Amino acid sequence: MIPIEAYLAFAAILFAIGAYGVLAKNNTIVVLMCIELMLNAANINFIAFAAYSADAIGQVFVIMTITVAAAEVAVGIAILLNAYRAKGTIEASGLKSMRW
Amino acid sequence: MFVEYTWLVPLLPMICFVAVGLIGKRTPEGGAYLAIAGAAASCVISVLVAYEFFTSAAYHDPGYVTAEIEWFKIPGGFTLHFGYYIDSLACLMMLFASFISTLIFVYSKGYMHEQGAKKRRYYAEVSLFLTGMLGLAVSSNFLEMFVFWEIMGLCSYLLIGFWSFSHPEGDDAADNAASAAKKAFLVTRLGDVCLMAGLFVVLYSFGSLDYVRVFDAAAIHAVDQDMLVLGSLLIFGGVIGKSAQFPLLDWLPDAMAGPTTVSALIHAATMVKAGVYLVARCYPLFAQASEVMLFVGIIGGVTAFFAATMALNNMNIKRVLAYSTLSQLGYMFLALGAGGYLIALGIETGDHHLIAAGAAGYVAGCLHMANHAFFKALLFLCSGSVIHAVGTEDMRKMGGLHRKMKITSVTMLIGSLSIAGFPFFSGFWSKELVLETVMHASDYGAEGYLFTILWLLAVVTAFMTAFYMFRMWFMTFSGKPGHASEHCHGESPASMTAPLAILSAFAIGFGFTILFGFDALLSIGVEGPHHQFTVGAGEAKGFEYLSDIFGSAYTYLTIALVLGAIGIAHLMYNKRSVDAGRFNGGGESFVYKALTKRWWFPQLYDQISWKLGYGVARGVDFIDRQVVDGTVNGLSNAVAGGGELIGKAQTGDVRSYTWAVVAGVVLLFALMLALFYFIGGGI
Amino acid sequence: MIYDLQIEIPYLLTLLLVVPLVGAVATAAMGGKRERYAKYVAGAFSAATMLLATVLLFTKDMGVYDESYSWIESAGLRMSYILHVDGLSVLMVFLSGLLVFLVTLFSSREGDRPNCFFALLLAMEVGLMGVYMSADYFLFYIMWEVTLIPMFFMISWYGGPRRHYAAIKFFIYTHVASVVMLIGIFALVFQSASGGVADFSFQAVLNGQFSDTFQAMVFLLLFFGFAVKMPAVPFHTWLPDAHTEAPTAGSVLLAGVMLKMGSYGIIRICLEALPQGAEHWQWLIIATGLVAIVYGAYACIAQRDLKKMVAFSSISHMGMVMLGIGCLSEAGIQMGIFQMFAHGLITAVLFMVCGLAGHNIGTREIPLLGGLASKMPLFAFFMMFGFMASLGLPSLVGFWAEFGIIFSFYEYASSNGMLWLIAFCLIALLLTAGYYLWAMQRTLFGRLTSKIDLSHVHDISRPEAAALGILCLLIIAFGFWPQAAFDFIEPYVGSLGAI
Repeated sequence: MIPIEAYLAFAAILFAIGAYGVLAKNNTIVVLMCIELMLNAANINFIAFAAYSADAIGQVFVIMTITVAAAEVAVGIAILLNAYRAKGTIEASGLKSMRW
Repeated sequence: MFVEYTWLVPLLPMICFVAVGLIGKRTPEGGAYLAIAGAAASCVISVLVAYEFFTSAAYHDPGYVTAEIEWFKIPGGFTLHFGYYIDSLACLMMLFASFISTLIFVYSKGYMHEQGAKKRRYYAEVSLFLTGMLGLAVSSNFLEMFVFWEIMGLCSYLLIGFWSFSHPEGDDAADNAASAAKKAFLVTRLGDVCLMAGLFVVLYSFGSLDYVRVFDAAAIHAVDQDMLVLGSLLIFGGVIGKSAQFPLLDWLPDAMAGPTTVSALIHAATMVKAGVYLVARCYPLFAQASEVMLFVGIIGGVTAFFAATMALNNMNIKRVLAYSTLSQLGYMFLALGAGGYLIALGIETGDHHLIAAGAAGYVAGCLHMANHAFFKALLFLCSGSVIHAVGTEDMRKMGGLHRKMKITSVTMLIGSLSIAGFPFFSGFWSKELVLETVMHASDYGAEGYLFTILWLLAVVTAFMTAFYMFRMWFMTFSGKPGHASEHCHGESPASMTAPLAILSAFAIGFGFTILFGFDALLSIGVEGPHHQFTVGAGEAKGFEYLSDIFGSAYTYLTIALVLGAIGIAHLMYNKRSVDAGRFNGGGESFVYKALTKRWWFPQLYDQISWKLGYGVARGVDFIDRQVVDGTVNGLSNAVAGGGELIGKAQTGDVRSYTWAVVAGVVLLFALMLALFYFIGGGI
Repeated sequence: MIYDLQIEIPYLLTLLLVVPLVGAVATAAMGGKRERYAKYVAGAFSAATMLLATVLLFTKDMGVYDESYSWIESAGLRMSYILHVDGLSVLMVFLSGLLVFLVTLFSSREGDRPNCFFALLLAMEVGLMGVYMSADYFLFYIMWEVTLIPMFFMISWYGGPRRHYAAIKFFIYTHVASVVMLIGIFALVFQSASGGVADFSFQAVLNGQFSDTFQAMVFLLLFFGFAVKMPAVPFHTWLPDAHTEAPTAGSVLLAGVMLKMGSYGIIRICLEALPQGAEHWQWLIIATGLVAIVYGAYACIAQRDLKKMVAFSSISHMGMVMLGIGCLSEAGIQMGIFQMFAHGLITAVLFMVCGLAGHNIGTREIPLLGGLASKMPLFAFFMMFGFMASLGLPSLVGFWAEFGIIFSFYEYASSNGMLWLIAFCLIALLLTAGYYLWAMQRTLFGRLTSKIDLSHVHDISRPEAAALGILCLLIIAFGFWPQAAFDFIEPYVGSLGAI
């Protein structure tokens, strides 16, 4: 059996990559994808713990997360499309007009 | 049947005030006839009331007639009344006040004739002034008295400031009048505030302000003596303000900015007499403690002296008269103080002779008040006649007016003789009685020696009075015609000279009433079956006064001094054989400067009011703007500025937000680890 | 009370709220071309309200008009619509009705959006009436806030050059105070809740049992809320600014009736519900009052703006009310209430006069004025009358209040061995005379000013004179016969003593 630490380490690496992307990338599509990575890191933790403690509730949560993530991506892409139409760019540095 | 209508006495002038104020424009002479009619009617009713009172049984017992209605109540058992209280003193006051006021109003008709539309204001205000004085005289309690007292204060303010705008002599005179009016009101207000505090003391101690209840011997004895002294002194504080006694004496000379008739009213019939009246009225309270009466006497004596010195070198005819009023008021307080001092000692020791001697002082004070009312009204109206004719108040520009204004000149001479205490004029009698009482008081008590000093001051004052009055008369009426005298257009109209003639008769003759029972009307009985203090219904000494006065060597001393003073004035200002400049170093000597600067009283007032008033006010204003409001604005600026500052963190860049979130998470995590590390797994 | 008219108008108290409310709406609707008639509509409605308030004054038993309806009732809360008028509030109700009518009359020259202006006045009247009549904390609080809003707009729409600053300052100050007050009210209501129901009515709170500590703490909260409104030093700086910037009508209502909401609250809520708290903090009430009296009087002397001076004088005179209340004796409270009424009448005259100075002369800066009595005799008369009344000339209404208050304070000080404190009151009386007379000397008397253009200066117009004249007559009438007002106050204060 693969020890749980391996899952956790993998998830942590995945999360770190996602976080790095969100922080460093200027292209908002990439940012959105990186957010997905982070979510999936959390999902892996859920699954790992669920298997480890033989409790199905973690898997339920994962399915829930995937659904929400799909919805979120849909909304996010829609916003980006509209932003592109309005501003002509999807660079994060160009979308600052939400400041008060 | 007339006494019940006493309330009409102050009410009639009040009605005139309202009537003149509303419809005065449409009546001839701007309401002059209305005002005269009101004053005359009051005078008639006063005579009827006084006659009925003196012939009634109440005059002998209990010595007063009073009636009152409930005015309002203060919770805690204090009921304040509104009513009248007639005794000899009240009768005397309302008689001479209404009589002299009537004459002054008649005189005003001529004097104010050229004032046009302003006449309405004048007659309305003088009517109200008279209301104040008559109301004060017949009031049945302190509070009602205080109301009228303050109404008089208001009227004096209005009338002194009568020319405070659009003055016929230009803007400076208008500024001057405005300032004088303010000063008069504020200085008397200082006294009034003291008086009000005195009323609190009396009301709290006695549970009432009604004369009947406060002057009750049993009530007085039940009260804490310290509070009684405090209350008496505070009430006397009000008197000092109103009657312009030392140290609040400086407003009265400035008050000459008003029309001369107003000065006559203020000095003779109303206002300053209210203070004398109040001391006489409060005798039962004041005479409980000899130190209070000593204080009254000292204030009176010092004022008499100081005011007389200031009159010595003044060039303004009205100012000289103003100082003489102060000085004569000082005499009245000196007499009342000395008399009360004797009574207080008499009550302490149970010596009836002392009480009788003190009662003589009371009579002297009241007689001097009445005499002074007549001759001072006369003098002011004469000076008004002069000013009316020559158009200036500076005596250096007058002179030689005797030929052009015979009646004025003669009547003014009568007035001057009377105030100087020339034998057998009315001022003589009362002044001698005052001096006699003071002399008497100096023989008794531990502080008696002070009265010796006061007697000396009073005698010197008598000398000075004769000197400055005749200096004034000679400068005005004799010698070479001055600059302004040449413009004189002769004697004043009959409406002005007739009151002068009537008043001079009183200035000559009123003093003789002392020989014919005046002292009986105003004698004080200190002990009796029902009440310890009554005014009136005593025994008249009659012609005994002649032997009293002329049996004393001191009388001849004062007569000699008076004659000497008149002689010196004659030499200096009539024959001009003695140069007046010799005595004052040509106007350079210290004393001369001190006198022209009124012993620096005005500067003192200014300093005090600027430092304690405006200076502190500026400080408070600074605190208000900078500290209090500064804190408020500082707080609001801090909130607004802080928001501005934090708002800068809101860049709008998504990634910087994310950095903040991640950094926050990492920080929290590090913190948790650190906690675990240091505390262990305990939490 | 003085004389029973024997008229009974059903729902009188509700009418007192509804008539101005309808009037406000109707006046607001008179926009555009009908603007010219706005003042007549407002005048009619305010006159009707005033008449209703006067009827109340001439009713033998005011209790018959009490109204009580359930309003919000849930499991744990009970808020009701209760209106009640007694000796404390009837004078204030009358004063509100009178002053709103008079300022409507006085402001009939208003040309800038008159419909909004008069609608705001009437809306304010709704709030004022509501504050003085409600006998339920919830209703009271709502009405308290209702008065704020029209006043805010009155200042920020119709005010002077710094109106926005003044309006916001006014709003924030009073609002913060009223939130603190609300906390106090909640504390009272929930502490007195019985059977799990928190009843907001005054009566329910009166029946509650409060410990001494609780009383002392809650008293402080409420006292703060009311003291800011009064206003007490050092929370007073909103008042001079609000007054300087507000239009005349706003100033009259602000000083005439709105400040009294503070002292009304202290008596109605702090004293009635928290007597031990009041005793505990008596020194604080007295100290606040004394400081306000002297501080306000001194501040007046240094002012250059006529209206600001009068505003500070209000602080000083409201300090008198505070002092009277602080005596906690029947006499003190009665005279304090009377001073509220007296000050309402007098200060209305003062602010009208100051407003006229600004309007007719063009400036209120005292150093620029001078000698105006010859140019504007009627103005000079009213100014002098107002000043004399305010400085406490006997036989005018203000004197009796001051006399009574200082006397009750004398009683208090004397029985506590602090007689010297009286000196502060006396100094303040002297200072009051000082600043008024000095101001008069510099504005009315002396040489005619040459610092400003006087060619367009004109005297008071007819409606303005009428408004001022009515006030002056009332000042004289109650000055000659203060018992007429005491007749209302006495029974109330007596019943307060019973609590």
